[in-house]
Amino acid sequence: MQTAAVRIPGRIENILSWKEQGGGIAAVFPIHYPRELLRAFGYLPVEVWGPPVVESVSSAAHVQPYVCSIVRNGLSFLQSGGLELADILLVPHACDSLQGLGSLLLDFIHPRQPTLTLYLPRGRRESDLSFLAQELHALYRRLAEIHGDSPTEPELMSSIRREEAADASLAQLHRQRSRLPLSDLAFYQLIRSREYLPAERFSQLASEALDQAGPITERGIPLLLSGIVPEPMALLNLIPELGGWVAADDLASCGRRLYPAGTSQDPFLRMAERIIHAPPDPTRGSSIESRHQHLLSLAAESGARGVVFHDVKFCEPELFDLPDLRRQLAESGLPSLLLEVDLNDPLSHQLHTRLQAFLEMIV
Amino acid sequence: MAKIEALGVDVGSTTVKMVAVNDHGEMVWHMLEEADPRAADQVSRFLAEAARRFGSLNGVPLVATGYGRKLVQQAARQVTEISCHAMGIYAELGHGGTLVDIGGQDSKAIRISDSGKVIDFAMNDKCAAGTGRFLENTAGRLRVPLQEMGQDALSSADEVPISSTCTVFAESEVISLIAQGIPVPAILKGLHRSLVKRVAAMISSVGLTAPLMLSGGVVKNPAIRAMLAEETGSAVTLPDHPQLMGAYGAALYALRIAE
Ligand code: SF4
Repeated sequence: MQTAAVRIPGRIENILSWKEQGGGIAAVFPIHYPRELLRAFGYLPVEVWGPPVVESVSSAAHVQPYVCSIVRNGLSFLQSGGLELADILLVPHACDSLQGLGSLLLDFIHPRQPTLTLYLPRGRRESDLSFLAQELHALYRRLAEIHGDSPTEPELMSSIRREEAADASLAQLHRQRSRLPLSDLAFYQLIRSREYLPAERFSQLASEALDQAGPITERGIPLLLSGIVPEPMALLNLIPELGGWVAADDLASCGRRLYPAGTSQDPFLRMAERIIHAPPDPTRGSSIESRHQHLLSLAAESGARGVVFHDVKFCEPELFDLPDLRRQLAESGLPSLLLEVDLNDPLSHQLHTRLQAFLEMIV
Repeated sequence: MAKIEALGVDVGSTTVKMVAVNDHGEMVWHMLEEADPRAADQVSRFLAEAARRFGSLNGVPLVATGYGRKLVQQAARQVTEISCHAMGIYAELGHGGTLVDIGGQDSKAIRISDSGKVIDFAMNDKCAAGTGRFLENTAGRLRVPLQEMGQDALSSADEVPISSTCTVFAESEVISLIAQGIPVPAILKGLHRSLVKRVAAMISSVGLTAPLMLSGGVVKNPAIRAMLAEETGSAVTLPDHPQLMGAYGAALYALRIAE
């Protein structure tokens, strides 16, 4: 894949090359999980956000029609052999639908690969931190059973530092986006390669892109993109076509995963700190007020004139907060728009009109 | 012969409308036809008619809006129906408020500031419930001419509730009500209520700032106007040409280009 600035290896190419070097692959469902822990066991995490446009008939036998297309597609993809290259599966409990998926895999579907789950606390208190550290410890023990070997504490710490460096580069890319010679689409292709590239390779790509940073360029009406995942990616072509520009994001797959470096010298606590102290996210129980403040500060820093909530249909954690969140944003003078999509559908004419009307409104 | 400065065309799913304005932004001519699937040809015909009446259209900018706006190659710019309706109604009525446009296949609620800016909007464009199509389908079943539906509904003291919001299921419900011997006007009143409740929900999602302004072909129906006033508790106001507000707004956008 060629962007204006750097060549990004594709998913399959990257998986095959990792396997050739003797590594294992962990297929990971959304949203938050410790990449460093998987890497310390030699597993490269490759995330499964859908994927978009797969036949989702096979999953219909197991999940209700009102389950989101990320879960429906992910399950269909697994059932159709799409995850054959994976050695283990990890399903973090981001929401009820993913929790249901974890149970389905363990109790009914029994995939070839071992399936691991991870409970995430819904808060940022000290008790949440220690709960998560214990969960990560349990995951470590389970991985050790499967792998037959386990990394030492110094090995874990070095893996954590490698991911912290990659996350620092990711944050740098987000901050510098208005200076990079990348279209919205190229920027998100680069950002989203963090979903499957080894951390060190991602850091290298990020630094190549950052080397090309120039003066700030005006690209259109600045928008703040919120929601789950920028799919269909055609959205990132439509926004500039209509005169807009993604100046910042609060996407679960992107900006909500700008994990800060931890401070603890205990590897499990440190991994937990990173997840707990990430930007607010409804799937981690963040309050509407904290999300409201976060969106206001993102808009103030980036100059975004409005928020586009680009949500997956039936995504309960997202949609539940939206009426109150949008009302609070409106009271703070930040207009917003809700677009709901199914990962299997192309962008509709209606979505096009709503987005264009919103841009005309905030121009 | 009046001189025209700008043109707007609203290529809707049911009808196509064109409006010409003079240099004061006043509507001086309009044309309206049922939508032809070959929208580009239809717009060319409208333009030819405008040229026949007003002479050469050279230097007269055209802005396109509506569902088929992208098909209008002759347009200098394409603007959404949200912005155009707001622009048109504000110019015509001279004040802000909440505008409801009920068209043949979609409906929208738009909140307009005192200075004529769009503050918020909501659209119902995925489902025929809450649009003119809902009444059209069921009117067909009841064999009542579309133009008479509203008056017939208002003539009835009784009203039967229609529980299906889905147009297809509402049609089956109507058939079963006819079979039970329920008088047609009572069914019609229930159908209007169902549509109006959908629209009222959309209005509450953007917020009602009185007065409630109405546009779109469906608001010519007196029962819709009366029931919307009843449901929302607000007086309703209408422009002289409710169906032309989108095209008029587009012409006013074109006038900005001309200026
Ligand atoms: S889109 Fe929403 S409901 Fe679906 S997996 Fe993600 S968080 Fe859960």
